[in-house]
Amino acid sequence: MSDDSVPLALPLFRLAAGSSEVTTLYRELRKPLLRYLVCLGLTSDEAQDVVQDAFLSLQRHLASDGTQENIRGWLFRVAHNQARNRQTSYHRRFSEPLDGEMDFLADDATPEQRVLEKEKFRRLATAIRLLTESERECLLLRAGGLRYREIGEVLGIATSTVGDTVERAIKKLAEKCNV
Amino acid sequence: MCDVQAKLIAWLDRELSSDEAAGVERHIEGCKECRSRLAAYEQVSNTFDVYCDAVVTAKTRRRVPRWVPVLASAAVAAAVMFLAFAQRRVEPPPVLIPTVAATSVPVPTPHAAEPAPRKTIHRRHAVPAVQERAVKWQPTETAVQIAIPAEAMFPPGAMPKGMNFIAELSIAPDGSVKQVRLRQ
Repeated sequence: MSDDSVPLALPLFRLAAGSSEVTTLYRELRKPLLRYLVCLGLTSDEAQDVVQDAFLSLQRHLASDGTQENIRGWLFRVAHNQARNRQTSYHRRFSEPLDGEMDFLADDATPEQRVLEKEKFRRLATAIRLLTESERECLLLRAGGLRYREIGEVLGIATSTVGDTVERAIKKLAEKCNV
Repeated sequence: MCDVQAKLIAWLDRELSSDEAAGVERHIEGCKECRSRLAAYEQVSNTFDVYCDAVVTAKTRRRVPRWVPVLASAAVAAAVMFLAFAQRRVEPPPVLIPTVAATSVPVPTPHAAEPAPRKTIHRRHAVPAVQERAVKWQPTETAVQIAIPAEAMFPPGAMPKGMNFIAELSIAPDGSVKQVRLRQ
């Protein structure tokens, strides 16, 4: 994802003095978190709100001497739970057709390339909608760079279950997309 | 079916122990079917990744910043003033040639003001770009840029000093404003 493709909204919170670690984490994880939340179904504004809330929670967590192990997984879990609380948006995931919105994807490609790209995405979008909720969430967290153990912590399932779920989901997509 | 097939995706994700990973690597060296499956899994993973980026980009583009209505109003007002000024000097031609105002800069081609290229999917399937632009480009509409200082629209201190916004106006041959685009 390029820098230009993400809204450059200023964070509403003010990082506490000496919280350079949080600042570094914010720079590193803001975009993956936004992408995860938007793909779950939140709007861009909602996703930004959730990310800011998650980092505020992180500050409180660290200030109260909370565990500092696997902060990345911790942030995704907090963001995931906050997204779940926004039920309406949460259940909108991947359900909105993007055909009209994605014309820009190939604006300097040949018409044939545009058609192929759109067709590939259309097939993938259809296949994604056929996945179970757990399979979609596992793939999204995997796409966010999380290890199976971290995904298990976010979703509250065993690491081995994550492995099985990811494998099943990828095989479904590969079969449906005929790649 | 090879037993290794059940481990291909975990291998792709670097989730296997070093011994298991070495076993998979030895196997796929000699198994064409597993190599083919692995390639398919990797491709669908990459496509999923790109699709997620596209979803984010599409949703982000739908979002209209709160300051756009303010800036749009200023741009429209500037456009009206520009048109009133231009139409007094130029006979109604098929193509309206803009008169340079103090804060207006004519744009030579409609493509000159396009935003910086973004990372898009088609670049992953890079094909040498075919230049289909006509050599003799004949303008069918006029583009005008108007620089608007940020201080004119926001309270002092709200925006970095010296920041300008550019209002790009596309003027149709009949003299009407066809499109207003705002950028930083």
